[in-house]
Amino acid sequence: MTAHSDIAPSDVSLPAAPSKDAVKKRGTRRKALGRTLLLPGQLISLFVLVVPLLVAFYMSFTDWSPTRGALSSAQFIGLFNYEELLVYDTRFVEAVLRTLVFGVVCLSLEFLIGLGLAVLFLRRFRGKALLFSMLLTPMMVLPVVVGYTFWMLFQSNGPINQLIELTLGAGAAPDWFKSAISAQITVVVTEVWHWTPLFFLILLSGLNAVPENPVRAAVILGANPRQVFWRVVLPMLLPVIVIAFVIRAMEIIKLFDEVFMLTRGGPGSSTETISLYIYKLAFNDFQLAYGAAAAFLVLIGTLGLVHLLLTPVRNQLLEARG
Amino acid sequence: MSDRPLTMPLALVLALAVIVTLFPVFWIVMTAIKPPTDWNAVPAIWVPGEPTLVNFRTLFDPEALGVYGVGGVSEAATQAVFGSLLASIVATALSVGIGLAAAIAISRYSGGGRATPLVILSGRMFPPAAIAVPFVIIFSTIGLIDTYFGLIAIYIAVTLPFSTWMLKSFVDEVPKEVEEAAMIDGMTRVKAHLTVTIPLIKGGLFATTLFIFILNWSEFLFALVLSYTTIETIPVRLAKYVTATAGTLYGVQAALAVLAMIPLVIAGFLIQNHLARGMTFGAVKR
Amino acid sequence: MTQPKLELVALRKEYDGGDVVAVDGIDLTVERGETVALLGPSGCGKSTTLNMIVGLEEPTAGDIHIDGRSVIGLAPGKRNIGLVFQDYAVFTHMTVAKNLSFGLEIGGLPRSEITRRVGEAAELLGLSSLLKEKAAYLGGSQLQRVAIGRTLVTQPAILLLDEPLSNLEAEARQAMRRELRRLQGKIGLTIIYVTHDQTEALSLADRIAVMSAGKIRQYDRTSTVYGDPAHVFVAGFIGSPSMNLVRGEIRRDGPAISFISDQLQVPLPSRFAGVAPGHGEPVIFGIRPENIMITRPGHPGVTGIVSSVEPRGPEAIVTVRSGNKSLDVVVPAADRPARGDEVVLRIPADHIVLFSGETDRNLSLSPILGAAA
Repeated sequence: MTAHSDIAPSDVSLPAAPSKDAVKKRGTRRKALGRTLLLPGQLISLFVLVVPLLVAFYMSFTDWSPTRGALSSAQFIGLFNYEELLVYDTRFVEAVLRTLVFGVVCLSLEFLIGLGLAVLFLRRFRGKALLFSMLLTPMMVLPVVVGYTFWMLFQSNGPINQLIELTLGAGAAPDWFKSAISAQITVVVTEVWHWTPLFFLILLSGLNAVPENPVRAAVILGANPRQVFWRVVLPMLLPVIVIAFVIRAMEIIKLFDEVFMLTRGGPGSSTETISLYIYKLAFNDFQLAYGAAAAFLVLIGTLGLVHLLLTPVRNQLLEARG
Repeated sequence: MSDRPLTMPLALVLALAVIVTLFPVFWIVMTAIKPPTDWNAVPAIWVPGEPTLVNFRTLFDPEALGVYGVGGVSEAATQAVFGSLLASIVATALSVGIGLAAAIAISRYSGGGRATPLVILSGRMFPPAAIAVPFVIIFSTIGLIDTYFGLIAIYIAVTLPFSTWMLKSFVDEVPKEVEEAAMIDGMTRVKAHLTVTIPLIKGGLFATTLFIFILNWSEFLFALVLSYTTIETIPVRLAKYVTATAGTLYGVQAALAVLAMIPLVIAGFLIQNHLARGMTFGAVKR
Repeated sequence: MTQPKLELVALRKEYDGGDVVAVDGIDLTVERGETVALLGPSGCGKSTTLNMIVGLEEPTAGDIHIDGRSVIGLAPGKRNIGLVFQDYAVFTHMTVAKNLSFGLEIGGLPRSEITRRVGEAAELLGLSSLLKEKAAYLGGSQLQRVAIGRTLVTQPAILLLDEPLSNLEAEARQAMRRELRRLQGKIGLTIIYVTHDQTEALSLADRIAVMSAGKIRQYDRTSTVYGDPAHVFVAGFIGSPSMNLVRGEIRRDGPAISFISDQLQVPLPSRFAGVAPGHGEPVIFGIRPENIMITRPGHPGVTGIVSSVEPRGPEAIVTVRSGNKSLDVVVPAADRPARGDEVVLRIPADHIVLFSGETDRNLSLSPILGAAA
């Protein structure tokens, strides 16, 4: 409500009150201003996101490839690309499953470590502000640089292997990028290092915002610190936990930069994520139409996943935004 | 439950976390100042005995490594640094400007609707690799591929949800009554926003700007697929260095990585208190 | 003689190494089944006292006995005390039933016993139909019932309520006031209210302990605290509008004794002859606004000019200026004078209270003079 609309329209008899028409006119002008302010953003989203997406959507039903001339001349092949992807393209299905497994493993580790660190930060100790900043550092490093750094760290004669051989003896260190499992481990370690700080940050914010009195009430009712944490603090933290998971889930589904620098999806396709596979389809093999179909499948899947993740807190989120 | 002191075992856990967190950064910084002989030494050289800036010089003068008898890089990173600066700064300024207008529209004139946050979130879910496909097609058709104009347009579109939603959460915190008071004094709405709303969210505007800068500066995939010869950014150059030499020019690559990191770490620490808000679209306030 | 339920002995709480004294050595005894209000403005130390009784804060010095046993060093959960928070602090993520059973589940009671007690508490507080409801969806007075029920099921020795009515709407406040009275009568609980609101304290408590600056200024039956304030602070804090308090001195003229402050001069009754200090000594003169009568000029009394009239329903508060002193008077609305009228105030001798200008204590209640007499 604004000052203008607070003037009751029923007070028309008062000379000072604006006429109904004037009120309506101001309302229209308000709306017009709102629309104008929103316009540039909508336009740029329309031209730079919506139009290309529509083109890609159309393209996904064709057999187009840049080597075959204009898009308009491409042949409409219906759901062929989608069928191919879901039924015959095991590399696509594997990339999807692999990305999901990376997601589950990385997010679980990031959540547990992040929560542990956040709980530690509820304690009293000196130099807290400095340590807080230090622990956030990884978030502030570019994904490409993170990928490159860990690629360097995991070299067969790199510092990690040298530390392993120092503690476990010579020959104990693996050649990380040569076997599927060890290459997958490097991806997980890199991701967890890079993004645990985000969980830590969000969870610590959430913990600090947990109201004090319910905690005290639980203490007075006889709960020990462990019971207070599991029965009162953690449930009250749930919306924040869900937010952290949703945001990270959305990001890890797009995982590309770090893996591109670290393994390029190899050895073989053992660390190939969805994004990496689509990238290779489109820009190495120029199967653009096929790649677009893969992209839409991923989008539908992601929408479903986020919908699922948000279900427990959707109402709270919408209410919080007013 | 808070305010208990840190016990010894917990302090050790914390110390371990800090070491693990800082070690990769430490390693890359150290590598960047190592002479070529130390890059790949076994046993590893943790802190170089003779630190040098030669790796950084090589980025701008490919032959600088010659004094060590090592072949230089084929191409300087000068253009990439310029490209990163140009694309990030311009895209950030425009994204924040457009986002600010949209934020005021949504916060004050209930633009969009109840479901807008979810719609925006959905927009963020689409993998860049997927969006990149139609971009490349359309941009090559209309001649925008390999241009900064095209790259900047994409950067704006991609960061707009972040700038809009982060700024909205700041605008929401400004009481409407303050603007209304200004309007009662005869100001137009636009003027009231310019002279009242915006100065009141200065801090938030600063934080949002740095946050969007971080996103643009870090971007890799779009720059990778949209650049051929004319445009280049630091992440793309880093990837090219690694590809070109099978990654053996450790020091030079590390130097470029450090160069890329410096502005982000500074920006990151400056807005440390707003990072949670930015990352969560304003859902977590602090 | 049964043991007192709660006893505070020279209880003291300092912060910042003694720089700030929040609670300055208070003594308080609460009998079994009694309802006591700890009343004072914010910052008077009542919340700190509450926290120390409950065990959320440890006292710097002094002792707390519950049922004759010191509870110093005992964890809050082991003191057998219930606390209802001002904001209720209900567990919003749980159902009403889960809230009620929380303390019992923590205590490891058998399932059947928990169900029985939760059912009883819900019945008592009218929550039976809401048991399956998520607490997040409840309104103010329902939340308060849940908060009360949550501690009642644990059968606490003492129930403490922090500002129990302040978060409720006026109507709900009336209802809850009756409800609390009914509960107290029904289960004979020992209840301590902590509040800054005198109406709340006067309507709920048998005895009131008035606190200011970390000290208990008076601890007495409700009617006594109102009629015979022991301390200037109590006189000024309780009653609305508050008691007129005028700083001045004693004038003795042979056996006659009077109070004087600039042009204001009031003869004092002979009962003050023995307790009041000597000629020229400072005192504070007190009279409740509702005890002053307004008459027309020509009558004996204090002459003054009406400087403001504030109607308050059936009554009006009239402020009368005499010289540079103002006195509030409560009159029936129909009899109120107009602003600017010249009036004469009649101050009944029976209702005058005198406080020492040095100690702020009520001279008539002064224990030292009482002992000497």
